[in-house]
Amino acid sequence: MPILNINHQSVHIQELNQNAPETIVLVHGMFSNLSVYYFSIAPMLATHFHVVLYDLKSHGMSGKTLSGYDLKSMTDDLKGLMDALKLKQVYLGGYSFGGLIALKMAIRFPNLIKKLAVIEAPDPSDEKARGIIEEYSREFLEHYVENFTDTTKVKMGKRQMEKNHRMYEYLFHQTSIKEDMILEKDFFKEEAITKIEQEVLLLYGLSSNCLETGKNLNQKIKNSSIQIVDGDHNIPIQEPQLIGEALLNFFQRK
Amino acid sequence: MDTITTKLSKEEIFNLMKKFITEVIGEEFVEEMDITPESSFTKDLEMDSIEIVSFSEKIKAHFGDQIDFTGWLSSMDLDQLINLNLGMIISYIEECQS
Repeated sequence: MPILNINHQSVHIQELNQNAPETIVLVHGMFSNLSVYYFSIAPMLATHFHVVLYDLKSHGMSGKTLSGYDLKSMTDDLKGLMDALKLKQVYLGGYSFGGLIALKMAIRFPNLIKKLAVIEAPDPSDEKARGIIEEYSREFLEHYVENFTDTTKVKMGKRQMEKNHRMYEYLFHQTSIKEDMILEKDFFKEEAITKIEQEVLLLYGLSSNCLETGKNLNQKIKNSSIQIVDGDHNIPIQEPQLIGEALLNFFQRK
Repeated sequence: MDTITTKLSKEEIFNLMKKFITEVIGEEFVEEMDITPESSFTKDLEMDSIEIVSFSEKIKAHFGDQIDFTGWLSSMDLDQLINLNLGMIISYIEECQS
């Protein structure tokens, strides 16, 4: 299992087609892990690119940590990963919360990012999204898992339920993730978003409750295009083939 | 990387897979389970996708280029992945060896 030490934390990474000249880095969403890309989208992109996947802190097989879930810290981690892998410039894709990290990365380190793909990034000022955290309970987890989980559509058994319960408990009640997310609520109102120069592809689900956010981002970012696909917030799981093709076309186009 | 060159029997592959599964999900859970070739990854063994990534890594480390396990998995749709059982993996590895 490839583990790197970045900013004093252990980070689980996976690389495909390491010999390709150009690199795509993909960032997963909250309560998920790199497996959201590993089985379908990443192998498609790896037909032409070097693909790097990593688990965010306290997610998947990366190390646990109590603080640093704000977008600045999360992009410091990504910058650290790029430095560790000696990647000078990459194509970057992010799903859900990973989409926010990708946008922040383009703002903070524009020279490192060639193009940006944002899949279903939510509006951090949306109280409903943040409210989920306040309402957390085991009942909520069961409901969430059945309806929104983006890693599998299989109903969880006891071991998985407990494993996930522990992860939610840890993230919600022990780490600073709640406070850090609230601090980001005005991220889309910042002028910096409108100053993103790179070409940006926005991928959103037709029945997703984030679709309006996608359309707003499309208005704000001058060099952006939006592609709407059938499905809801879980489009990478529902339509991996479509998402993989859209990303490949976008990153390959000169 | 302990890449092997000798051909393994069905039973040897089964035992090796059982060893990998134990390493991934932990002995305390495996003790309560009856792992058979019919065991499905998601329903019976309750492995989630990050655990299957870990399991794939172990196959890759053991067999090297001989077996493109991730490639084989990526050719499946979600329903096929959900129904994947140990016997199917054993047959696939056997085929790759022949």
